[in-house]
Amino acid sequence: MEASARLFQRDLMGKLSKRFPTGFLGLDPFPGTFGRIRFDPAIALELFREIRDVHAFEHLAMVAGIDWVERREVLYTVWSDVHRGYLLLSAMLPAERPHIETATTVWPSANWHERETWELVDITFDHHPDLRNLLLPTGYQFHPLLRSFKLHEPEELEVKVRHV
Amino acid sequence: MTGTSTTVVPKPRPPIEAAAPAGELPMVTQPALPFFEIETLRAEQFIPNAKEALGSMIAEQAQDKLIRPVFNWAGRNSLFPLHWGLACCAIEFAAAFGARWDAERFGVVPRSSPRQCDLLIVNGTVTWKVAHKLITLYEQMPEPKWVIAMGNCATGGGPFRTAYSVVPGVDKLVPVDVYIAGCPPRPEALLDGILLLERLIQERRE
Ligand code: SF4
Repeated sequence: MEASARLFQRDLMGKLSKRFPTGFLGLDPFPGTFGRIRFDPAIALELFREIRDVHAFEHLAMVAGIDWVERREVLYTVWSDVHRGYLLLSAMLPAERPHIETATTVWPSANWHERETWELVDITFDHHPDLRNLLLPTGYQFHPLLRSFKLHEPEELEVKVRHV
Repeated sequence: MTGTSTTVVPKPRPPIEAAAPAGELPMVTQPALPFFEIETLRAEQFIPNAKEALGSMIAEQAQDKLIRPVFNWAGRNSLFPLHWGLACCAIEFAAAFGARWDAERFGVVPRSSPRQCDLLIVNGTVTWKVAHKLITLYEQMPEPKWVIAMGNCATGGGPFRTAYSVVPGVDKLVPVDVYIAGCPPRPEALLDGILLLERLIQERRE
């Protein structure tokens, strides 16, 4: 990693740990990015605001969900046109009823990403304006990217085609 | 020609009646009924309103024999498929209508509105999300209409048969006339399927 990027990383870590003494859990190096911030879901909204307004990461590129069986991880990838680089924000959620505050109020592009994450790995985003199926039909009864999901024979998969 | 035990005794013939004298025509006792009238009279003993029924039957037969082939001939030579690409098979679909394979020489011209189409070529993977759109498009097409399932995906789900979001065969949604195998089928296979459908249309009676 370039020296300037390492400097930026150390600077960011210092500022964030001062701003969020309890919720900020650390910044790990991650190849190709400025690093991966681990944070407590309780401070999600303030952290998003801080990252966007103070540190100028104004574009949310991706929201991902990972099923680690005993926990569930939600991962935001943000891009800054000022620093020309990515930053990852990751939070660990409990496996039973995983939920986190929505990022749509900070980055509007989170809307569809969060809908997709919700329907595929069953992470609920609180206060989301329109949390419904994006890629799967309305009323689909599974969350297919969970590890507990079994592939079905087509006859078992009962999907009602809603005729609009 | 071998010997049989029974012998056939010819019956005596009835005597030949005297021919009418020359110059006098044989008398016609009843005017001859045309075929249609006789059949009507015969049928009316059993069926009420036999005259109308017979008339419509004959009209239908005439339609089948005379008009239907003309309609079929016109329909089969100007199939308009819907210009709708779903997945990778749509690339072959596009190639079939390009300069190299030139499906337009069979009168097959893709149209962009379902109201102008009589052929739905399902070229690709149909997900459950898009399933009701496919049904809507099919229902928007005017009668008579046909469906070609192009590729393994449309035929039976293909490589995604057990996936969580794919319709295992488009015949779960709409009636399919011709299935084309292949992943993807070559443009020649698509043309072959269209020609097969043309043969089916030529034999259509309904
Ligand atoms: S049959 Fe093969 S080529 Fe055609 S849509 Fe399916 S996967 Fe793609």
